[in-house]
Amino acid sequence: MKMKKAFNILSLLVILGLLLAACAPAATDAPVEEQPVATDAPAVTEEAAPAATEEVPSTERRGGWLDEIDFSVVSSDSAVSQLQAGAIDFYSFNLSSNTLQDIKDAGLNYTQSYGGNYGISLNPAVFEDAAVMNPFSNRKIREALNWLIDRNYINQEIYGGGSLPKLLPITTQLVEYTNLVDTARTLETKYAYDLEKARAQIATEMEAMGANLGEDGKWQIDGEPVTLIFLIRSDGDGTRQPMGDYVSNQLEEVGFTVDRQYKTSSEAFPIWLGSDASSGQWNLYTAGYLPSGLTRDERANIQQYYLPSSVQAGEPFISNVADPELQQLGDDLAQGNFANKEERDAMLARALELALEDSLFVWVVDQLVYAPYNSNVSVTYDLAAGYEVAFMGNYNLRFVDQEGGTMKVGTNDLFTQPWNTIAGSNWVWDSNIMRATSQGATGASSATAGMMGDPYTGLGWPQRFESASIEYQAGLPITNNNLGWLDVQEVDEIPVPEDAWVDWDATTQTFITAAQKFPEGTTAKTKSVVVYPADLYETVKWHDGSPISVADFVMAFAIFLDRGKPESAIYDESGALSVDAFLPSFKGWRITSTDPLTIEYYSDTYAADAELNVAPLWPGSPTGLAGENAWQVLAVSNLSEEAGELAYSSDKADANSIEQMSWVGGPSLEILKKYMDQAQAESYIPYEATLGQFLTPEEVTLRYENLAKWYGDHAHFWIGTGPYYLDQVFTTEKSLVLKNFADFPDLANRWSSFSDPKRARVILDGPGQVTAGQESIFDVTVNLGDDAYPTADIKQVKYILYGSEGNVLEVGNAEAVGEGQFQVTLSADATSQLETGSAKLEVAVVPIPVAIPAFTSFEFVVVK
Amino acid sequence: MSVIAPASSEQVVAKKKSAFSTVTRMLRYIGMRVLTLFTTVVIGVYLTILIANMGGYVDQIIRGQIRDTITQSVANNPTMRNMDPDVRRKLIEEQIALEEKRRGLDTPVAIRNFRHLTNAIQLDLGRAINMTSDSGSKQVRLILLERLPATLLLMGTSQLFLFFSSIYIALNLSRNYGNFWDKLVIALSPTSAIPSWFYGIFLILIFAAGFKILPFGGMVSSPPPTNPFNYSMSVLQHLILPGSALVISSFFLSVYNYRTFFLIYSSEDYVDMARAKGLHAKDIERRYILRPTLPNIITNFSLLIIALWTGALFTETVFLWPGLGRTLYQAIGLYDTPIIVGSTIIYAYLLAMTVFLLDFVYAAVDPRVRVGN
Repeated sequence: MKMKKAFNILSLLVILGLLLAACAPAATDAPVEEQPVATDAPAVTEEAAPAATEEVPSTERRGGWLDEIDFSVVSSDSAVSQLQAGAIDFYSFNLSSNTLQDIKDAGLNYTQSYGGNYGISLNPAVFEDAAVMNPFSNRKIREALNWLIDRNYINQEIYGGGSLPKLLPITTQLVEYTNLVDTARTLETKYAYDLEKARAQIATEMEAMGANLGEDGKWQIDGEPVTLIFLIRSDGDGTRQPMGDYVSNQLEEVGFTVDRQYKTSSEAFPIWLGSDASSGQWNLYTAGYLPSGLTRDERANIQQYYLPSSVQAGEPFISNVADPELQQLGDDLAQGNFANKEERDAMLARALELALEDSLFVWVVDQLVYAPYNSNVSVTYDLAAGYEVAFMGNYNLRFVDQEGGTMKVGTNDLFTQPWNTIAGSNWVWDSNIMRATSQGATGASSATAGMMGDPYTGLGWPQRFESASIEYQAGLPITNNNLGWLDVQEVDEIPVPEDAWVDWDATTQTFITAAQKFPEGTTAKTKSVVVYPADLYETVKWHDGSPISVADFVMAFAIFLDRGKPESAIYDESGALSVDAFLPSFKGWRITSTDPLTIEYYSDTYAADAELNVAPLWPGSPTGLAGENAWQVLAVSNLSEEAGELAYSSDKADANSIEQMSWVGGPSLEILKKYMDQAQAESYIPYEATLGQFLTPEEVTLRYENLAKWYGDHAHFWIGTGPYYLDQVFTTEKSLVLKNFADFPDLANRWSSFSDPKRARVILDGPGQVTAGQESIFDVTVNLGDDAYPTADIKQVKYILYGSEGNVLEVGNAEAVGEGQFQVTLSADATSQLETGSAKLEVAVVPIPVAIPAFTSFEFVVVK
Repeated sequence: MSVIAPASSEQVVAKKKSAFSTVTRMLRYIGMRVLTLFTTVVIGVYLTILIANMGGYVDQIIRGQIRDTITQSVANNPTMRNMDPDVRRKLIEEQIALEEKRRGLDTPVAIRNFRHLTNAIQLDLGRAINMTSDSGSKQVRLILLERLPATLLLMGTSQLFLFFSSIYIALNLSRNYGNFWDKLVIALSPTSAIPSWFYGIFLILIFAAGFKILPFGGMVSSPPPTNPFNYSMSVLQHLILPGSALVISSFFLSVYNYRTFFLIYSSEDYVDMARAKGLHAKDIERRYILRPTLPNIITNFSLLIIALWTGALFTETVFLWPGLGRTLYQAIGLYDTPIIVGSTIIYAYLLAMTVFLLDFVYAAVDPRVRVGN
């Protein structure tokens, strides 16, 4: 009887549990913060509004806002549930847009950023087997696919409406798109979904190629059906399979026979990239590319995605016989062969038109992704790539209206590869932690460490220098000083001083000067001068307590060049490739003063935005990884590599069957400790012939003492100068603890004004009826939250007038008439072009503080 | 007074001959058995290598991945954007060649397979291609050893509990054949068709997301407690759900199997005879039922012990349990042949040794069995 009772109770418990699980936890009753939500672009009507930027909270706190951040690995499948259950406060890794509804249903807040783009890669080759027809060797048929695909449908049905339909090889609604919004909108109108147009163009071209439509409605050649092999990716986020199925259905609709081959990346790559395109192993492939951050300059994309000269340097690009004009434009754009910005923009606009006529890629969607967090958390994130690539992310992470506290953050993985800043882990989740321990970098280049990347514009702000100036050679298309903190000058010539360091002699362990390498003198295209604060050496400290010094700056650069020299004791073949790629455009750097520290940098490489040409040469990773380099850590690491016991890179570690260096765990630690003890005993100065000029015996002693104490306390060698330090590392448990660094020079609120993106909300109003041939005026109101958007923060308000067929009739700029108020005046000439019926006016507001424009449109009736 | 007659010289010789013949027979048997098992291990491992490499096709896959990774990293590198396409292409090809060399693709696949095999047989597990241990090492030995304790904890706890509880309950059910609980176990035994990871998801939904009383996954809370006692308690707390999932998924079928097994032995004539003689039920169970089933139980137990080595691929993945199963799952996904081979060779050796030793154990526990006969 007792057993029976127990069984009954157990059964009831199980049923109750199942019922609870089935009912699913209700959304939390926390207030929901409205976040920007993508609309059905390209038919975007109005930009959803984020909350207005908060007032910067006052504080006396230094370092980060939080006392402690606990990072751990959490499965993305359970992220939303764990947030609801309170197990974590924030899931920092991006979730795909098909989870957006779950996030909303759970009442969570979320970041929204670009997660990569998907498109259809087409095989352009004529197949070796003459009996097998490849329709996509015909450019016109490739172009027709743009009309064949309903991108809005894909976005709604597969991506839950949470992404952006994509037509162009530039990121939809980002900087370049905004810059060329009239061209973009014109092309989007031209290539709007039109099945019949696609059918007609395909039919014309197929017949011209000798194919005929059989009685069954299928294209045939020599009595055999024209079969398309479609490599459809079945892995990843799972959205490429339904996307491939949809495109297959459309192709079948216009008469093709489609052989759908579902494959994982590892199965598809050898065919897509690895096979000779003319061997005919594929016709279409569901391709995808990931973003690297908020990219402001996408002019190289034409070459990358369409031309045989693509950086991808293989099939199917090399098999594409591109239009000569497109080839020329693409190569010139990539290599910067243009005189000014106007010429560049005109070239890119024309190239976009030709790219769509070529359509080696038929783009489908710019995916938006989301990182969920609880309503009591405040998160700053990069608009293009999310939280984990935003340098400001960890700086601003906090509980709402609270200083201090411990935040639990989940991410996708940790310690995927060994951590060192020379050739260690570059995984986004590892790099995010490393950034919390260091000072900023814009992400545009490793040379920009020491600047704080602006998460909303992709530009940079001075974080740890007093002033900066840029000189550039006349004629280069560099825009002047977008954010207003930089001194920019255009000059005829930039000579490189004779004493500038231009290379490295690994034998003598000294820098080679410009006079030695270029006896006849040399010039550079850009020159950057950065002046550091007078109190730099007193205010900035490494986490082990050592004040920063000039030696840190010099060491970071020396080691980068040294690894690429065969004579070096730490020569690394993989490092040499980076140095070989770097040296041709590098023209030198020079310390003109050590107090205040002033550094000049000369280069032939340049970015279109002036801010991104500033080279602070902060002792960050010289190879573009996250993290910073204290010279004493590099010295110990060099000793271990010289002894052949550890290697910075996995290539060298594999070649020598030794361990790759990890500064945070594993067998490396004992080895590093051994060499730390040795360095301390010998007062070892790395690259003594060079660094000896910048080091005193007292500093050498202090550095090793502090490092030894740090290792004793924390059992790892990862130190930086950032607002958080790495306190504890648990590699097997996949978790770590960051703690606030109270000696950080800045207050926690320094970047708080960036807590929310200042995205604009735009309202367009005007007459419902316009008489053709008469002037007509429309009002544009631009808001930031509930207030007017400051006119000074608006770069421009463009308008586009569409005719009844959706054709673009006129593009122009609205005129500012007040704070956040603009007016579009359609002249009598403009309205006279309108046909009787309906017409549309669209405006694009381009704010300066954020890279994403706001769109809205207004439809009206035209009468004669 | 009886006198014991001394053994005749023939008898002594016969005894010696018999003893010599037993030793010879044993040695011959051991030699043959070892040789057979070793050959089986070699064939099994070689097949594993061939499958892991997909007969060489994995080379093509890896080459495609290398090209894609390097070209995408170059495309995202601003310093290479302005570069002359030919110079850039040369750099890319150099990087690709270097990476292919690092991955060993410059050596023919047949030679690599043979190298993998000889190293594996000598238990020289070598270095992983892609994966690193959590602490950053690429030595397969360290990668596997690092995950071994977590797997032994999860699998050992769940499988030993399952084994002993199944036998205990099965014995009880066989005694009470046909009662409610017996019928219930029979009715529920098909539930074992559902894999453990599936139960895992349900348990997470109920106890982690619903009741919020147990963690979603991982092996210890974040950050791990520094006090050893608290650490152990945290591990135990994290062990409950994955361990329960593994137990629940096999429990009813396991009990059903043993119960049926015991029932078969319970209906033997000699058991009926023992009952007719009036022997006590406990004695009957111990002497007449359990003893003849001992070889099977020992076999099951031995195989269970070595199966701990393989971990639980999907359950560990669902619970983010840092065990060998998850490592193997990742290695398969990354085509990391040395890890797959390393894991397989250890299992193969353990299996071979177990099979070898079981022959002797059978002979020890069951007088009907003679080694080598």
